[in-house]
Amino acid sequence: MIKFIRNNKFLVISLLLLAIMTGVDISLTYTALENTRDQLLDMLLIVLPIFLLIGLFDVWVERDTVIRLMGQSSGLKGMALAFFLGAFSAGPTIAAFPLAMVMLKKGARYSNVLFFLMVWSSLKLPIVFFQVTQLGFEFAMLINAIMLLVFIVAALISEKFYTRSELDAFEEKAEELS
Amino acid sequence: MSLEAIIIYGLAIGLTIVSAVVDRDKTKKGFIKGTKSFLKLMPVLIPLFLFVGILLAVITPSFISSLLGEESGFVGVLLGLSVGSVTFMPPFVAFPLGKELLQSGGAYPQVAGFLVTLMSVGVVYFAAESKFFSKKSAFLRNTVSLIGAIIVVGIVAVIYG
Repeated sequence: MIKFIRNNKFLVISLLLLAIMTGVDISLTYTALENTRDQLLDMLLIVLPIFLLIGLFDVWVERDTVIRLMGQSSGLKGMALAFFLGAFSAGPTIAAFPLAMVMLKKGARYSNVLFFLMVWSSLKLPIVFFQVTQLGFEFAMLINAIMLLVFIVAALISEKFYTRSELDAFEEKAEELS
Repeated sequence: MSLEAIIIYGLAIGLTIVSAVVDRDKTKKGFIKGTKSFLKLMPVLIPLFLFVGILLAVITPSFISSLLGEESGFVGVLLGLSVGSVTFMPPFVAFPLGKELLQSGGAYPQVAGFLVTLMSVGVVYFAAESKFFSKKSAFLRNTVSLIGAIIVVGIVAVIYG
C-alpha cells in the first residue's frame, strides 16, 4: 500500500484533491476532469508524431554523427546546433523530454541537451513570433534576450554540478527508457 | 489544428515517407522503436495530466488577472512567479492574457514574471523530468529558469517601472 502511494504520488494526490473538490463544489470536479481530457488529447496530438520522429532518429542517425555534432568535444558548434533544434521546434516542453533523452542516448553532451531543453521551453520561434504580436517587439525581445543569456551561462557551467559518473548515468538511463 | 501541430505532423509524415522510400525495414524498425518508447512513458504522463486538469480548474485566467493587477506590487510579482511556475497553460491563452493585463494598466514586472515562469519552469513536470533525466537535472533546469525569470522581472521593473 505504502509502496503504491510512493510510486503513484501524483495519482493519489490528484484523487484526494478531486474528493475534496467534490465536497466543495461538484462542478469544479467536472471542470477538472474535462480539463484533464482536453489536456491529454492535446498532448497526445502533439506527442504521437514526436515519437514517430524519435523512432526514425534512432534508426537513421548514427551514434558517431551525434557524438561528432553534439558530443563531448563539439564545442560551440554543438551548442549552436542545440539552439537551432530547440528554436525550430513546436510543442510543449513535455514533448521535448523524450527527444532530449534520445540525444543523450546517442552520445550528445549533457550541457548541449540541457541547452536544447531550455531553448525549447522558452525560445521556440513559433511562440516567439506569437509573443511579439501580443506583447510588442520591445517587451518580448527584452524578455527573450535575457533568458537566452541566462541559458547560455547555465549550459556552460552546468556540468560543474555533476560528477563524471552522474553524467554517464544520463546515457544509461536513456538507454533503459527507450 | 494549431500551427504547431501542423508543423510537427508535416515533418513526421514527410520524413516517414522519405524513410520508407529509402529503406522499408529500417522505417519499420523505427516505427516499432517509437511506439515502444511511447508506451513506456505513458504511465508517467497520464496521472500528471489529472493533476494538471485539477490545477486548471482552480487557476483560471480571471483568477490570474485578479492576482497580477496594477496595484499588486511586490506581492503581485511573487504571485506571478509562483503561479507561472506551477500552472500549465497553452501560450495561445497565456500571451493574450498578458496583453490584456498590460493594457488594463501596466503591471509589466508581474506579467513578465508570470509569462517567463509559465514557459520555462514546470513544477508539475518535475516528476516526469526526473524520470527522464534525474532529480538533480530537473531541479537544475527549473532553478536556472526561475533565476532567469527573477532577472527578467528586475530589469523589466527598472525599464518600465
